Amino acid sequence: MTPTPDQPTPPGQDPLRPHTFDGIQEYDKRLPNWWLMTLYGAIIFWAGYWFYYERAHLGLSNAAAVQQQMAVIEAERLASTPTLDDASLWKMSRNPIFVEAGRATFNTTCASCHTEKLTGAIGPNLVDHLWIHGGRPTEIYATVTNGVLVKGMPSWGPVLGPRKITEAVAYILSYHHEGEPIEVQAAWVPHAPQ
Amino acid sequence: MPDQKITIEYNDRIVRQFLIATVIWGLVGMLVGLLIAAQLNYWQLNFATPWLTWGRIRPLHTNAVIFAFVGNMMFAGVYYSTQRLVKARLASDFLSNLHFWGWQLIIVAAAITLPLGYTRGKEYAELIWPINIAVVLIWVVFAVNFFWTLARRREPALYVALWFYIATIVTVAMLYIVNHLSIPTGLLHSYPIFSGVQDALVQWWYGHNAVAFFLTTPILGIMYYFLPKAAERPVYSYRLSVVHFWSLVFVYIWAGPHHLLNTALPGWLQNLGMTFSLMLWAPSWGGMLNGLLTLRGAWHKLRTDPVLKFFAAAVTFYGMATFEGPLLSIKSVNALAHYTDWIIGHVHVGTLGWNGFMAAGMIYWLLPRLWNKPLYSTALANLHFWIGTVGILLYVAAMWTSGITQGLMLNATTEHGTVLAYPNFLDTLNTIRPMMLMRVIGGGLYLAGWVLLAYNFYRTVRGAQPVNGTIEVYEEAPAPGTRLSLGATFFSAPTVFAVLAVGFATMWMLGSDLVSTAGLAGAVACLIACVALLPSRGGAWNGWYEKLLLNALPFTLLTFFAVVAGGLIQIIPTMIVQQAQNVEDRIQVPYTPLELAGRDLYVREGCYLCHSQMIRTLVPDILRYGDYSRLGESIYDHPFQWGSKRNGPDLARVGGKYPNIWHLRHLEDPRAISPGSNMPTYPWLLANNLDASVLPAKIKVQRMLGVPYGPLSAQQIFDQVDDQAKGIAKDLRASGAYIAPEKEVVALIAYLQTLGKSVPVPPKTNAAP
Repeated sequence: MTPTPDQPTPPGQDPLRPHTFDGIQEYDKRLPNWWLMTLYGAIIFWAGYWFYYERAHLGLSNAAAVQQQMAVIEAERLASTPTLDDASLWKMSRNPIFVEAGRATFNTTCASCHTEKLTGAIGPNLVDHLWIHGGRPTEIYATVTNGVLVKGMPSWGPVLGPRKITEAVAYILSYHHEGEPIEVQAAWVPHAPQ
Repeated sequence: MPDQKITIEYNDRIVRQFLIATVIWGLVGMLVGLLIAAQLNYWQLNFATPWLTWGRIRPLHTNAVIFAFVGNMMFAGVYYSTQRLVKARLASDFLSNLHFWGWQLIIVAAAITLPLGYTRGKEYAELIWPINIAVVLIWVVFAVNFFWTLARRREPALYVALWFYIATIVTVAMLYIVNHLSIPTGLLHSYPIFSGVQDALVQWWYGHNAVAFFLTTPILGIMYYFLPKAAERPVYSYRLSVVHFWSLVFVYIWAGPHHLLNTALPGWLQNLGMTFSLMLWAPSWGGMLNGLLTLRGAWHKLRTDPVLKFFAAAVTFYGMATFEGPLLSIKSVNALAHYTDWIIGHVHVGTLGWNGFMAAGMIYWLLPRLWNKPLYSTALANLHFWIGTVGILLYVAAMWTSGITQGLMLNATTEHGTVLAYPNFLDTLNTIRPMMLMRVIGGGLYLAGWVLLAYNFYRTVRGAQPVNGTIEVYEEAPAPGTRLSLGATFFSAPTVFAVLAVGFATMWMLGSDLVSTAGLAGAVACLIACVALLPSRGGAWNGWYEKLLLNALPFTLLTFFAVVAGGLIQIIPTMIVQQAQNVEDRIQVPYTPLELAGRDLYVREGCYLCHSQMIRTLVPDILRYGDYSRLGESIYDHPFQWGSKRNGPDLARVGGKYPNIWHLRHLEDPRAISPGSNMPTYPWLLANNLDASVLPAKIKVQRMLGVPYGPLSAQQIFDQVDDQAKGIAKDLRASGAYIAPEKEVVALIAYLQTLGKSVPVPPKTNAAP
């Protein structure tokens, strides 16, 4: 391509088109090279991108790509799932760092139904001795992680992850004592927060 | 034949009327915009009043600024410039007046029906069907008036501004009609004929190109007339006009799917949308270059002339917005920016910067000419410019920061990428509150600038004598040999090469292996032939184009074919593919009558404007909202409710996540459940009784549209509504809330609780139907 001077010639020296429209005249300047390059570049990109994804199928589809990424996450979760027992959860419930972190999670995530005092409203009271789905630390952990969808308890495992759930359970347990009585409650009757 | 000299008086009265309407509707539209912006920070500003609540007046803002403000501005500019560019008075005073009053009546009808909750539930296409018909009729009046004026022109050749006007009229008609196809269920309600992915595709084919052909091409035409007039400089490059006009109108139409990236939209459409959006960058900048470089030799005038200041800034903002658009269309950028305030910022660079400033420049330029009196105050106009510019910059900077911040927070993960760093949506919302407040301030400044314009306008025209432009022309006989037959239009080398190139490229993109290879060979042959022939034939092709410019009808037809291609290639395949093959591995269960009624309430209250129902194929979306949405899960949704903005969380799988009582309390007072939420309260849903009497007519239309409802008598429908509502009310009572089953909120809860409850479909065996 022959390099043509790209500098704008001083106005008045460019040839004008012969016709005027309501006094408006037009130059007929050639298209700037850099502008043409962006146009041609985008067209070449289109051809390459289309070939890569739609003709040669070298790239993954959206669904395949995200399934692959989710599989990696699933593996990571399986590898890092803590082996929790009642004893260690009780121990955490006496650790102020765990309890404070748990309080933050509880207040932003759980308090809308269980209230910040844990005394229950839409969801059950968590400070009494009555438990619907089991009151042992590992049972509470399982309830939070898996949820009880029929009763409106969401499954928090995928959203909060094991660490935050452990902390929240430790926070709940900080209101209890090891060895206190656990009574079975059939159901919770929701009421407005008090 | 002796030439006869006659004097023509232009119809400038209609221009003055449209100009006044522009100023007034601009004030109204921006004021509503300011209110909805403030409501996002201060939920109390919803006043617990249905017709002042965000979801109902956000459409009022968008419709008012697009169709009332820019619409009236466009008609004023088109009518003023066209008469002068063709040296003829507008063809019909009656049609001009009908156009003006019809359009104002439509705006008033919109301003009444939208706050009352009468809506079609599709963005920028919310107006109900009787108003849709009025819009089409008035648009036809506009078209007839315009083309009739062209037919009576005394200036044989079409100037570039007119090309853009022609593209506008033809394309808006096509887009508007297709996206508004609906079947009425009553006088004020209808269901769109498309559903799910088809509706999404048609909606954004329309939505994207409403931006292109309502907010861009007519304003480019206005730029091509008013900017060289004001600068008193020749247009920079005719050649650039030709190339950027044709590439712009052709490419724009293809880019619609970039509004649906990473959703359930089939991948090939997403890839088309993204790549064509990138190709749109250069054609858009062609317009910017022709605007800015026309100012060569006139830059010194910017110091004193507010008109040129507005034009220069407007064109610069156009350049910014059209660079940002392709950037946002890149899938990975879009994954961050979509559903956030970044998009709101992007849109307002275009509307406040490009549309609003072009309008202001045009108004300040026209006022002295239409009322024969100098502008009341140049100083005020300059103040308007600076206050408006600062307003835009604050607005846009705030929205960029807000959008990127919230996008990063929503996508952030922790613990080796396995959990969300900010699982509570409200954490992200409350982080961007300062930026949202900054937006209110920027928007307020911009509105203050517009108030200055209104005052300047009023003081200029008060007591002034309106004046109509005149021109003396010679009646000339048309020059011989300027006619271009339709055959010579279509069977000319430029047309044939363009059609072949697009045809071959489409074969390469979408054909089976053999067709694809042939398409590739054809496209390459086309390219080589074109380049080889250009040196020898270029002059002749140029001559053909000059001749085309003398022939309005062939020019209009070519424009129509250029814009229709992209739409046909994208939409037809999704139409002819059997719906059943479009479901992936999950399919929606048709709504029960009560859930359908609840869905119509969801649409009425504009919930879709803050809540999407589309979990994208992105890890953060899946971690936050559940498995990604499948095509089949919205297959019966007339209209689709995928949404375009997340002021609140996605609801695609909210069904069954919370108990009924949660939803009741949340709708009654969102902050009782979610402290820090900015959602309005909906007390009227708990007070109003559901109107179930319309359900038989609605279900009849749904069945007509292909939703598999069995034969249900009206009584059976009412019984089903009754049973389900009583069940929910009973459950609420058990939870301590006494709500009569007839209340609207019960239907809405029924709908919310069914979201995401689709059923798996076994892998498709391609058995004969």
